[in-house]
Amino acid sequence: MILYNPLHRLHMTTGSSTAHLRPRRVCVSAHPLLSLSLVLLGNILLSACSSKPAALPDTFAETTDSAQIYPDYRDVTIPPNIAPLNFMVVDSLADAFVADIGGMVCAAADDGKFDIDSTAWRTLLAEHRDKDVPVQLYAHREQGWVRHPAFALHVAAEDIDSYLYYRLIEPGYEIYQQLGIYQRNLTNFEVTTIYENHRDIDLGKTHCINCHTFQNYDTERMYLHVRENHSGTIFTHGTETKKIIIRHDSILASGAYGNWHPQLPLVAFSTNKTAQVFHYSYKEKIEVYDYSSDLLLYDPDHNEVRHILHTPDDYETFPCWSADGTRLFYCKARPPRKHTDKDYEFQIVMHFDSLLYDIYSMPFDTVNYTFGEPRLEVSLSPQHLSCSMPRVSPDGRYLLFSVAQYGQFHIYHKSANLWVKPLRPSPSGEDSSSYRGENNPAAAAPADEVSTALYPLTAANSPDAESFPGWSSNGRWIVFSSRRDDSSYTRSYIAYFDVQGKAHRAFLLPQRDPEYNQLLLKSYNVPQLTRSAVPFTQKQMNKAIRSTEAELATYKGLSK
Amino acid sequence: MERKNIFTHFTESTIAGWFFFFLVWLWASWWMGDVFRIAYEYSFIAPDATLMHWLWQRSNGLLWIIGRVLLTLYHWPVVGGLLVAILLATGSWLLGNVLQLSQRWRWLQFLPACAWMTWTAHVGLNLFYMHEPGRILSIPFLFVVVLAGVALIKAFSRQRAGEYPVDVPPAQSARKKRLLMGVAYAVVLLASFAIPMLHLSHRHPYLRPLTRMQVQLLHNDYEGIYRTAHEHADMSYRQMAGYYVIALVRTGRLADHLFDIKLNFEPIRTYSYTGKPSESRNYHHTDCNYHAGLIRAAYHSAMEQMMWDGPSLFSLKHLTKISLLEGDWALARKYLHILQKAPFEDAFINKYSPMVGRPDLILADAEFAAIYRTLPPRHTLENVYEKPSFIGYYVAQKRFNNPETLLWSTIACLYSKRMPEFLQRCSSLAGSTPPRSILEGLITQVQRYPSLIEAFPQLQMEVDRYNQFLREASAYMGDRERGSEELFEKYKGYYPYYYFFGNLKTDHTNGSEVLEHNRAGVN
Repeated sequence: MILYNPLHRLHMTTGSSTAHLRPRRVCVSAHPLLSLSLVLLGNILLSACSSKPAALPDTFAETTDSAQIYPDYRDVTIPPNIAPLNFMVVDSLADAFVADIGGMVCAAADDGKFDIDSTAWRTLLAEHRDKDVPVQLYAHREQGWVRHPAFALHVAAEDIDSYLYYRLIEPGYEIYQQLGIYQRNLTNFEVTTIYENHRDIDLGKTHCINCHTFQNYDTERMYLHVRENHSGTIFTHGTETKKIIIRHDSILASGAYGNWHPQLPLVAFSTNKTAQVFHYSYKEKIEVYDYSSDLLLYDPDHNEVRHILHTPDDYETFPCWSADGTRLFYCKARPPRKHTDKDYEFQIVMHFDSLLYDIYSMPFDTVNYTFGEPRLEVSLSPQHLSCSMPRVSPDGRYLLFSVAQYGQFHIYHKSANLWVKPLRPSPSGEDSSSYRGENNPAAAAPADEVSTALYPLTAANSPDAESFPGWSSNGRWIVFSSRRDDSSYTRSYIAYFDVQGKAHRAFLLPQRDPEYNQLLLKSYNVPQLTRSAVPFTQKQMNKAIRSTEAELATYKGLSK
Repeated sequence: MERKNIFTHFTESTIAGWFFFFLVWLWASWWMGDVFRIAYEYSFIAPDATLMHWLWQRSNGLLWIIGRVLLTLYHWPVVGGLLVAILLATGSWLLGNVLQLSQRWRWLQFLPACAWMTWTAHVGLNLFYMHEPGRILSIPFLFVVVLAGVALIKAFSRQRAGEYPVDVPPAQSARKKRLLMGVAYAVVLLASFAIPMLHLSHRHPYLRPLTRMQVQLLHNDYEGIYRTAHEHADMSYRQMAGYYVIALVRTGRLADHLFDIKLNFEPIRTYSYTGKPSESRNYHHTDCNYHAGLIRAAYHSAMEQMMWDGPSLFSLKHLTKISLLEGDWALARKYLHILQKAPFEDAFINKYSPMVGRPDLILADAEFAAIYRTLPPRHTLENVYEKPSFIGYYVAQKRFNNPETLLWSTIACLYSKRMPEFLQRCSSLAGSTPPRSILEGLITQVQRYPSLIEAFPQLQMEVDRYNQFLREASAYMGDRERGSEELFEKYKGYYPYYYFFGNLKTDHTNGSEVLEHNRAGVN
């Protein structure tokens, strides 16, 4: 049975019952009044769209051409609790589209957009947990209906954490304006603002916020940095907040890239002297590089900071704790010049592509807060590759990191891909420890080193930059930043990571309006998954950032 | 008799109103047409909440959105001018009615419109550059809306009170009195337009020719830019010079005509985003870098402008064209997709959409082909060159992939008076007949390097003129600014004049490579 309502542009039938869809919303994060007025204005200007009833065509021709859909959700593996994967079809020859999504029949609006009903979608995924949802797409062309080849949505057995945190910022370059950190409920399209900086230009208020980081996939403790005005690092503990300044003569700069210890109230930070240059003629547009960096350990409960590593001729960065908190992983590079050399900074930038980072780890004594001797974990520098942003899986079995041809700020490197290193086999032995990836240049490890062989996550990677990876709390999902859409604007992608250590084809974070990502002129930055929503409000964060006096952390020397 | 009085009253105010309307139309479409046309290019509007979200969030966002919607009609300046005329004439008429001005004081109704026009003249480039372009038309729009609201309320309250406006006929005027009234109207109307026009000519004389050149660039009318620059050769603003250079490059006249215009730059009077005085030196950099083949630098400045001002047609069009030149098809498609949402941009979309994924079409385009020839041939970093890039890069470059870029570099050295670097580049020209400016540059160095005469025998013919110039110039060596003014007419286009009297106000750097670290802005 098919219902038709001229106010609604999309109708669907599920089995014998008929579900009625809401009118499509244009933007999840825009003010509703703006959305309404602009949609009305648009509809007035561009004439009202006609709706079409949703029914599968009785007669159609088969075509071997795959439908051009955006986002490309074909054959992706999705969590059973994900929001509807709304998509749009681009086909200039067709004037109507109908989809059969696992028996749920939907018609697209005139602009080719499918807006799937959330309730029906949830039911569908619940019924297909650990199964495939077949999708069949029909397009109406001048000669009649055609049916495109079917594809499937593979529904995994395991849920993804419900909340994703990210920053929206213009991609690259030296200045910034309106940026914010947001919380997205992955089970629907709800977006909550954690914090937004100034909306108008006012140098007295300009500030940048970055590196939001949570402890152990929970929102009880988090921190984020504030630069320029209101500068400091905001630490939250439940609804309590405090602003800290990490500064000392012996510390290069304030804390930068950090990671919470999974159990203890400790944060390992890197402190970096960072610069940015612009290429005139090169495969990349921008280069972000360090010309010095060390590691710090900060204790927020006692407001004490100490050096973990303080080495002028080694660059250590991107610290990351192991799942049990007994090791600290980090990246380290040895620059081509000593810091005492003439024109040191100039030489570093002119040899930007010779900065190659390997991954090391150090044991950590959780009682005395001391570190042991460093151990080389991943060394791709002999192959002229550079590692960055290590993240250990929650079960402690895998080390996930990005690999590019050089450097550590891989979000700007087209060559950047995600790799993993198995750290230990599964206790149940259910994994296939022989899996070493497809087309794996580093898989030529001797047989006795199989468990430590590295491999790229080929199915999840793309020809463009993949960076800032993170795990879900159950270790079955990874979220990361990718520039695969247009090589410039970073988007959040999610990939399934199976028990064999294999990543599946990644999918773009779904939006209510599938066109949203094509129109958005900001990048999704530093995606982080958590199980729960933040306990504080935007107002509390505003107060913490704008009205709180910062305390200076006490420096306690070098950690033993 | 009474009927005649009403008719007389109607005629006087209406005639003034219609005069005002047509004069505003003329002012807004002819006098300010190019200015507002470029303001439209610095604006962007689309019926899409995602794209307009950043503007909506700003203070008075809705008002700026309305202003931008109205500004869209300046895609055709005559139509935009008509809108302005309607707004100002309606607003003036409403004001007269709301205030119930008597015939004697009726001229007062034109003052707010005159004030707005004077404001546009006062603000100048800041109408759209580094300030919200939606302001321009949102102000008269608000003026009309508020007055219409007040008029409605007054009409409603009169109706409720049982009062009706009574058209009181003016006392029969003597012929002389009516003549005086007519003169007063004429004076007020004349002043309404003379004040903003004179104020603009005095405060921002560059604004109309500069925006004229930009409109001409939109139409690839390089000859037009060349003509406009020559018509205003005595104006000396680096922004105008920037667009003039683009025309010279595109018409192959760079070596012979760069020094035809006055290059002794006056600062332009604008204010930065924060309200502090600014010379807007970067105003022309995106266009100049783009046409100099430095498309990455152009991309950089277009992106930064988009971060300050949000998306604009100006930025998005540059980003589209550069993405096409770079072969970033998906990115070009994204920008085209966004531009498609803006009204009236079909011509741009239709021209560039087919080029996505088609390098052959890109190379067949004259503008793209010319830029493609001059892309930097090898890896280098923007930060190691002096700003502006289109001069700093060519001054510092030592290896060239074609004669065109060698010539640009030679002229860049001449312009920046880097004579050792200039002579280095000229070494490859020995034995040939160099362009006029280069010969004139060489003659300034003959005294120091007499062997130049052997390498360039043509210099013999330049010696007499140069000596004559030196004799005349010697009187001004103690006061070069005066020399710059007094010798311009006689020696404009002559390089030695520029060498001694041109670009006196520019802050020269030492020409060494610079490395700019940005330590705070890594996004």
